[in-house]
Amino acid sequence: MAKELIRLQNVSMQFDGETVLDNISLTINDHEFLTLLGPSGCGKTTTLRIIGGFQTPTSGDVFFDGARINDVPPYRRKINTVFQKYALFPHLDVYDNIAFGLRVSKLPEPEVDRRVMEMLEIVSLRGFQNRKVTSLSGGQQQRVAIARALVNQPKVLLLDEPLGALDMRLRKDMQNELKRIQQALEITFIYVTHDQEEALAMSDTVVVMDKGCIQQIGSPVSIYNEPENAFVADFIGESNILDGIMRKDYEVEFFGHRYQCLDKGFAKNEPVDVVIRPEDIDIVPPGGGYLSATVTNVIFKGTFYDTFVDVGDFKWLIQTTDFHEIGDVIGISLDPDAIHVMKKSQYSEQFGDYSSYSAEYDEMEEDPEGEADEE
Amino acid sequence: MKRFTRIFTVVVFLFLYLPMIVLAVASFNKGSDIGAFTGFTFRQYGELFRDSTLLPLLGNSIIIAVVAALISTILGTMAAVGIHNMRRRPQAMAMALTNIPMTNPDIVTGVSLALLFAFAGVMLRRNSIMGFGTLLIAHITFDMPYVILSVMPKLTQMDPDLEEAALDLGCTPVKAFFRVVIHEIMPGIISGALMAFTMSLDDFVISYFVYGPNFVTLPVEIYNYTKKPLQPKIYALFTLLFLVILLLMVLMNLLQLRDARQRQIRKGGAS
Ligand SMILES: Nc1ncnc2c1ncn2[C@@H]1O[C@H](COP(=O)(O)OP(=O)(O)OP(=O)(O)O)[C@@H](O)[C@H]1O
Ligand SMILES: [Mg+2]
Repeated sequence: MAKELIRLQNVSMQFDGETVLDNISLTINDHEFLTLLGPSGCGKTTTLRIIGGFQTPTSGDVFFDGARINDVPPYRRKINTVFQKYALFPHLDVYDNIAFGLRVSKLPEPEVDRRVMEMLEIVSLRGFQNRKVTSLSGGQQQRVAIARALVNQPKVLLLDEPLGALDMRLRKDMQNELKRIQQALEITFIYVTHDQEEALAMSDTVVVMDKGCIQQIGSPVSIYNEPENAFVADFIGESNILDGIMRKDYEVEFFGHRYQCLDKGFAKNEPVDVVIRPEDIDIVPPGGGYLSATVTNVIFKGTFYDTFVDVGDFKWLIQTTDFHEIGDVIGISLDPDAIHVMKKSQYSEQFGDYSSYSAEYDEMEEDPEGEADEE
Repeated sequence: MKRFTRIFTVVVFLFLYLPMIVLAVASFNKGSDIGAFTGFTFRQYGELFRDSTLLPLLGNSIIIAVVAALISTILGTMAAVGIHNMRRRPQAMAMALTNIPMTNPDIVTGVSLALLFAFAGVMLRRNSIMGFGTLLIAHITFDMPYVILSVMPKLTQMDPDLEEAALDLGCTPVKAFFRVVIHEIMPGIISGALMAFTMSLDDFVISYFVYGPNFVTLPVEIYNYTKKPLQPKIYALFTLLFLVILLLMVLMNLLQLRDARQRQIRKGGAS
C-alpha cells in the first residue's frame, strides 16, 4: 500500500500572537498528488512553507520519511518548490536557471547538460535555453520554474498556486501538463490552489482548509459527494443547504416532508444540515405530494440552465437542461442519493439558500481582475 | 511664466557651476593674474605632471580613497544585509543609527575621531598613532553609511522569493548571497562604492584631524599651501579632480538609469 512520506502532527503557527494554523495534522503519501484548497488567507502558503522549511512551526512536528525535520533547513530537504511568482533568477538565462540546483550540488557538467536538456524537453521549451528569463511569457516562465525544481529529482514538489497568473486556456493546458509530469516522474506533488475546479480535476487527495483549520481530507469524489460540513459543501461546487431533522436512520425531514436518504448514525430527531446539489434535483409536474416551487429566475449557462425557484421563503438553485418560464410552478423530486446529511457545525448559519446568490456571483466575476491589478 | 522658469534655471546652474568655470579658465591662463585672461596654454598642466610633491600626494589621496571605498563597500554591504534581515523595530533603529553620522557636522566627526585616536595612543603607550591607519579608519567610518544607504533600497526592492528559491535549490545562506542576492543588489553596491570613493577623495575636514606627518592626502596639503600664495598649477589639479568626479557621477547616473530600465523590462515581462 501507499507509503507515508510527510506527516504534519498537531502543527500550529502563530504570527505576533495571531493564530494562522490551528493544530493541523496531515499525512502525505509517496507519489500522491495532494492539494491544499481554501479561501485566501486560510493558511495554505504557510502550510507549504512549513513543509519546505522556510518557516518553523510554533508548535507541533513535521516528519519526512519518519524523521523529524523541524530544524532541518530548506537546503537540506529533498523538497523543491515552484514559487507563486516563479522567482526565476533574472541574471541567468533559461539554461542556467534550470542548471542552478545541479551546479550547486556540484554535478559534473556533462551530467548537468544531459539533465537540463532532458528537462527542457519535458516542459516543451527546447530551443529556449539561451533566452533571458525576463523575455519569456508568463506560461514559459512558469515552465522554467517547474523545470528548475524538477531537474533536481526531488522526492516532493511544492507548488504554490503555480497557475494563478495564467489565463484560462493556458491554465487548462498546464493542468494537464502538470498531471502528466507528476505521473511520468512519480513525484509527490503538494499543490496549493483556491480554485476548486482545479483541485478536483488534478488531485488524488484534497485538503479543504478554512481559517487555519482543516475542514476535510478526502478524494475529490468523496469531498464533493460527502462534504462534512456546510463550509465544504458551499466551497466545493454549488449547494442548496437546508435545515433538517434526522427522524431515524435513512430518514430525514425538511419542509414538512420526510425523505429516504443514505445517511445513518445520527441521534433520533437530531437537527442536521441537508445538502442537495443543484444537478441532482429532478423537476416533475406540480402536485402529487412533491414539494412545489415557483420559478423566479433562469440563466442560460450553455449546456444547462441555472433555474432559481422559491420553496416557501427558501431559494433553491436547480441545474436542468429543460427550460422553465419565470412564474412557472413545478414539483421537486429528490432521490435518496440526491440527499446528503451533515452534522450541524459552526458554519451552519452562514450558508443556506441562494437569496444572496447574485452578490456571490459578482465577487467571482471581480476576482480575476483584482488579481491582475495587483501585478 | 515659462520664460521666467527657464531664466531662473540658467541662473541656478550658473550659480552652481560658475566657480568651477572660473577655476578651469584660470588653469588655462597664460598669465598668473586671475583678473586678466592673457592667452590659452596647457603649461600649468605640464608643470603639474612634473611636480614632485603634488603628484605623490594625489597618489596618496587615490590610494586612501580606493582602499577606504573597497573596505567600506564590503563592510557596508554586510551591514545592510544584516539590517535587512532584522525584525521591523530593530531595523528602524539601526537605520536611524546609520543616518546620524551622516548628518553630523564633519568637524564634530573629525574632532571626536581625533580624540578617540589620541586616547587609543595613550592606551597603547605611543606618542602618536596618527598616520595611514587612522586616516583609513576615519574614511571607512564616514564612507560606510553611504554604502549602507545605497544598498538598502536594493535589498528591499528584491523579490524575497529569489533568496528562498536559492535556498530551496540547495544553497546555504552564504552561497545564496553570492550566487543570487549579490547580482540583484549589484547596482546599489557599485553606486555605494563610487559614492564612498568620491567622498574619500575630496574629504578635507575629517582628514585634517586624523592625518599624520607620514601620510598626507591632497586636500589636506593644499590647505597648508593656501597659507602661501596659490600656484596656478593647483588650478589645473582642481580642474582635473573636478572632471574625474564629474565623470564618476555621470557613470553612476548611467548605471542607475540602466538599472531602472531593466527593472521596467522585467516588470513588463512578468505580467
Ligand atoms: N510572515 C508573516 N507574518 C505575519 N503574518 C503572516 C505571515 N505570513 C502569513 N501571515 C498571515 O497568515 C495568514 C495566512 O497566510 P497564508 O499566506 O498562509 O494564506 P494563504 O492561504 O496562502 O492565502 P492566499 O490564497 O491569499 O495566498 C494571513 O492572514 C497572513 O496575513
Ligand atoms: Mg498563498
